[in-house]
Amino acid sequence: MKQTLMKLKPLALALCVASLPLPAYSADNLDSLRNTVETLKKQLEQVQKQLDEQDKATVTRADLEEVRKEAASANEWKSPNTLVHMAGYADVGYAKTEGEDGSFGVGGFSPIFHFQYRDLVMLESELEFEVEDDGETSVALEYLTIDFFLNDYVTLVAGKFLSPIGQFRQNLHPSWINKIVSAPPGFGHDGAAPTSELGAQLRGGFPLGGMRTNFAVYAGNGPELNSETEDQVEFELEGVRAEGFGTDADEELVYGGRFGLLPIPSLEIGVSGVTGKATVTELEDESGLPELVLDEEKRDYRVYGADFNFSYRSLGVRGEYVKTRVGSANTGITASGSATWESWYTQAAYKFLPTKWEGVVRYTDFDSAVDAQDVQQWAFGVNYLFTSNFMAKFTYELNDGENGSPVDDNRFLTQLAYGF
Amino acid sequence: MKTRLTKQLKTTVAAISIGASVLLPLPAAAFDFPEPGDFASGSKAWAENCARCHNIRPANELRDDQWLTTVFHMRVRAGLTGQEARDILTFLQTSNVALVQEPVRPDDAPASTLSGKEIYQQTCIACHGADGKGAFAGVPDFTDPQGRLSKSDEELLKNVQNGFQSPGSPMAMPPRGGNSALTGGDLQKVIKYLHSEFGS
Repeated sequence: MKQTLMKLKPLALALCVASLPLPAYSADNLDSLRNTVETLKKQLEQVQKQLDEQDKATVTRADLEEVRKEAASANEWKSPNTLVHMAGYADVGYAKTEGEDGSFGVGGFSPIFHFQYRDLVMLESELEFEVEDDGETSVALEYLTIDFFLNDYVTLVAGKFLSPIGQFRQNLHPSWINKIVSAPPGFGHDGAAPTSELGAQLRGGFPLGGMRTNFAVYAGNGPELNSETEDQVEFELEGVRAEGFGTDADEELVYGGRFGLLPIPSLEIGVSGVTGKATVTELEDESGLPELVLDEEKRDYRVYGADFNFSYRSLGVRGEYVKTRVGSANTGITASGSATWESWYTQAAYKFLPTKWEGVVRYTDFDSAVDAQDVQQWAFGVNYLFTSNFMAKFTYELNDGENGSPVDDNRFLTQLAYGF
Repeated sequence: MKTRLTKQLKTTVAAISIGASVLLPLPAAAFDFPEPGDFASGSKAWAENCARCHNIRPANELRDDQWLTTVFHMRVRAGLTGQEARDILTFLQTSNVALVQEPVRPDDAPASTLSGKEIYQQTCIACHGADGKGAFAGVPDFTDPQGRLSKSDEELLKNVQNGFQSPGSPMAMPPRGGNSALTGGDLQKVIKYLHSEFGS
């Protein structure tokens, strides 16, 4: 535009001159012409100024290149010392128990938050949201730990953590990992295996000759016990709640851990154990409503476990055994004899590659201190893996429990599970 | 131990979730931590450890920064040593590149002094195995007469150069097996070695 106006300048002058009559110009005409030319000059100067200002406000390629260089040198947002990452899993499903109507359900939504400062420390936490039968939403803090990486072989993990006893609770229970829709009986809540703990543990791994090992040792608040009675005369231990309590009701810590050995890369063998004290804090009477009890006698608390895991190409075989024993108490309201909870399972899974189908079979034998909870279960599963972390699972459970008890009924379960 | 969601708790949870999600879109970047690990050792440690508990997640599923937190989380869970974690992280961050589908371009870079066997043992053995049958499910069996080595050398070279995902494999082979230093001459040496070692 600027160049066009510059070309127009002489043309405008020529037009002005050409528009005048040919006879000799009078002084008046000359003055008029001079004024016109002056006016045109002023207007051109104004346009020139406006164009110069416009040029200053316009971004050029050189300006852009300068900005690019500046952005490339600003590294603080590209490589921060603190990282945030949300992982987790969720599942929805449908369950049909023998003799009952089936129903849809939301298994859970479990976001996992990772906050990490360089390679020094990580805070990790999992929340668990569930839709209850009455439509209300419940939430639980599955775990929350600060992991301090002490060196290449040991990490200090403090807070509420998944129990390191065995494999299922700490590594296999997420729905996108567990190959059967349900947990093995005895490995869920109030079973034979502890689920969570609140305390501190040291975890890690180290080479041992040509083999590999991993370990976890911990101290924690320990579990609390449930007792039941029908006549306020005789009392029985009904359950162990090992879910990570914020206080230590018996005022004595429990100590435990697991040691895993991998003699070859495809085989892991683990042994676990816990020792300490536990006390009854809940009593359920004939009304069915639990009431709080205090200052009951401390009882011995022991857990023993063993697990193995073998994989070869498309085949994965694993198994786990756990036994919880609670000692007797001679004094207090809920004084009663000792009790044991024992469960073991073996599972085999095979991927029919190159298809996306997978077959699974699992056998579990759960022997509870409460006879009505005892069950022997065959679970058969067929899974379709849309991707490695998104799958449809179909499971049929053949349950053999005490006649008339809920755990005696066979079940069909299906689930969509997604890990993210 | 579950809790019914109160209004206050809902607000807290929403605040945490929104705060985290705002910080999530962090672009991938080259971090100065942890120290770099060894790619070949990382691919071996990855193949031997991750499938013990769960299906293997493809390397291109997450960004570099997401792999960093994920691998450190798994270091705690699986009892990995710090060195194993660094090696696996290097392997995953190097391998999470998109596959390219381009014809093989002439590669004038001179081949290295390594033999085809040495290159295979440094870069390929973790996934393809010492016996060529594949270290884990989904990896092609080079010893199968009707298998991968029955394809033309041109196609094999294209797959190795550009990267390739076999049907049923949990992850794709990254371009040049994840080792960008390999030249066209090196790749041809490897293919020649595959035929001589595993071919019928």
